[in-house]
Amino acid sequence: MDDMVDDMVKEEIVRATDLKKTFTLSRKQQKIERTGETRRVAVNGLSFSAYRGEIYGLLGPNGAGKTTTLRMLATLIKPDGGDAVINGYSVLKEPRKVRDSIGFMTSELKLEGFFTPDYLFDFFGAMHGVEKDVLSARKRMLFSKFGIDKFAEVSVKDLSTGMLQKVSLVISIVHDPAVVIFDEPTNGLDVLTAKVVTDFLAELKAMGKSILLSTHIFSLVEKLCDRVGIIFDGKMAAEGPLEEIAKGDLEKSFFELYRGVKGDVI
Amino acid sequence: MKLLALMKKEFHRFFHDPRLIVTMLLPGIVIFLLYTIMGEMIHAEPETYDYKVYLQGESFVTSLIGVAAEESGNTVEWLSVEDMDAAKKAVEDGEASALLIFSDGFDNFLEGGSPADSVVSIVYDPLEDAGTSFYALSDAILQQVGRRFEIHAESVATEANIGREVMQQILPFIIVCFVFSACMSVTLESVAGEKERGTLSTILVTSAKRSDIALGKILPLSCISMLGAISSFLGVALSMPKLMGISMGFLGKYSIGSYLLVFLLIISFVPLIVALISTVSTAARSVKEASAYTSVLMIFVMVISLVTAFLPAIGNWAVAIPVLNAVVFIQEILAGGLPVWQALVSVGANLLYTAALVYLMTRMLSSEKIMFGK
Repeated sequence: MDDMVDDMVKEEIVRATDLKKTFTLSRKQQKIERTGETRRVAVNGLSFSAYRGEIYGLLGPNGAGKTTTLRMLATLIKPDGGDAVINGYSVLKEPRKVRDSIGFMTSELKLEGFFTPDYLFDFFGAMHGVEKDVLSARKRMLFSKFGIDKFAEVSVKDLSTGMLQKVSLVISIVHDPAVVIFDEPTNGLDVLTAKVVTDFLAELKAMGKSILLSTHIFSLVEKLCDRVGIIFDGKMAAEGPLEEIAKGDLEKSFFELYRGVKGDVI
Repeated sequence: MKLLALMKKEFHRFFHDPRLIVTMLLPGIVIFLLYTIMGEMIHAEPETYDYKVYLQGESFVTSLIGVAAEESGNTVEWLSVEDMDAAKKAVEDGEASALLIFSDGFDNFLEGGSPADSVVSIVYDPLEDAGTSFYALSDAILQQVGRRFEIHAESVATEANIGREVMQQILPFIIVCFVFSACMSVTLESVAGEKERGTLSTILVTSAKRSDIALGKILPLSCISMLGAISSFLGVALSMPKLMGISMGFLGKYSIGSYLLVFLLIISFVPLIVALISTVSTAARSVKEASAYTSVLMIFVMVISLVTAFLPAIGNWAVAIPVLNAVVFIQEILAGGLPVWQALVSVGANLLYTAALVYLMTRMLSSEKIMFGK
């Protein structure tokens, strides 16, 4: 009851309703997965809500549909069914307004090594239509906060992995987005760089940002998330505040859910 | 055994990737199609002429030439020579196709009489199609009339004229080659490279319109390519007269309008090529793949630009064919013509094709299959 009252007070910033996405499987993929299916349902009627100022974590194994969901929210791909509203804009009807409302960060998005952080910050600011004086003030603030100012004129290709990650993160929020979406933010990173990312997320949370992230790392969810959604095979298996879902041990609860849905086979 | 395994791996990679197979086979298919079409065009309808020939001396051979000409769809108008120098001048100026001179008593000689030193002279301009055609026809008839005699062919074309003609033929082709290579060097990597490195997706996540992203690539790349193309063009244009043994003074014979039209044709041609390579590059999954596709494009463009060598008289329909329109009308301008409306319509057509390619590239940037497909 308290949670219901809580949710009513909180401002909904992301609402996904019955999202669906199906991909056509190539012959090669069919062969790899030893299946005769020509189509694969990646996301199957996913619904969830995230609230302003909170971190929402989508937790699931590889292939569960986390990346596809976030790509639909980032308007990089279109849902086959359902819709999502971010900061009041529909991903189907107003994709450009959605893109202006979000910062999207994944390990697949890269920065041109030839340019400097200073140049790229200005470039992506212009891409989002940020006013020059606002951009300049924001650059000073973010570069100083994350220690990028000393490296502002160094080509991206010459930056250390940790600094490059910081620059990528800062550039993803160049336009002060209402929602920041991170797809597997620490995937493939060494422990030091991963810490840069988790510290950054904590910092964003402290700044009051709304964050949506996908991961398969329990500790990351336990450390940062306010709410969590657990996905198996494109369907939401459980969703709610972290304490409710984790019941004291997120990993244990996750595998209990997993066995309930998929049986004993892992 | 290990060698076999290594070789099998290479073959497997190749034969299990349809795109690689297509890339390998496409040049052959394109060349076959183009050469077949060109062959059809060359042999379909031989060019016909209305020969105007000055005739000095008399022979029954002229009637044989007349019959042969008519059989191949040509006509011959025999003109009498009042003044030998004036007749040669008329051939030189292109007002007459040739000057045919039979020595005195030529028919008597053919019938076995004298004089034994009979000669036939054909004065013509090898740079003129009608002159060359008449020379070939009359030479073939004269070779068959019986006794051996000397056929003296005299060309009115000077070395400078020949050099200029060669330059008029070659320069547009060289322009196309340099424009294409200039465009390729800057464009190929710019789109496919960004796609491969993941930096294009970073831009797609912003609220920039897909059409802005396409134009944001094509317009600056066109300017950069233009600089490269102009630099190469000037290098060739200024060195070719030396190479061909022509005085630089000939450049002065062209009007400002001629230079302007050539410039406009090049200016409209560069963005078209950039848009074409950008579109192909957007469709490719990697720089390597884009490079293979662009090689096929290059063959295609080169063959189109060489069509004029096989088809001497191309009609105004060339305005609608990109690449060919630039080559044909630059050639015409270099030959002293001023095909204003043809050049302007060609420029318009090239810009229209460029706009269509920008639209196509915009659609491709919006396609999740092309941008994010594995």
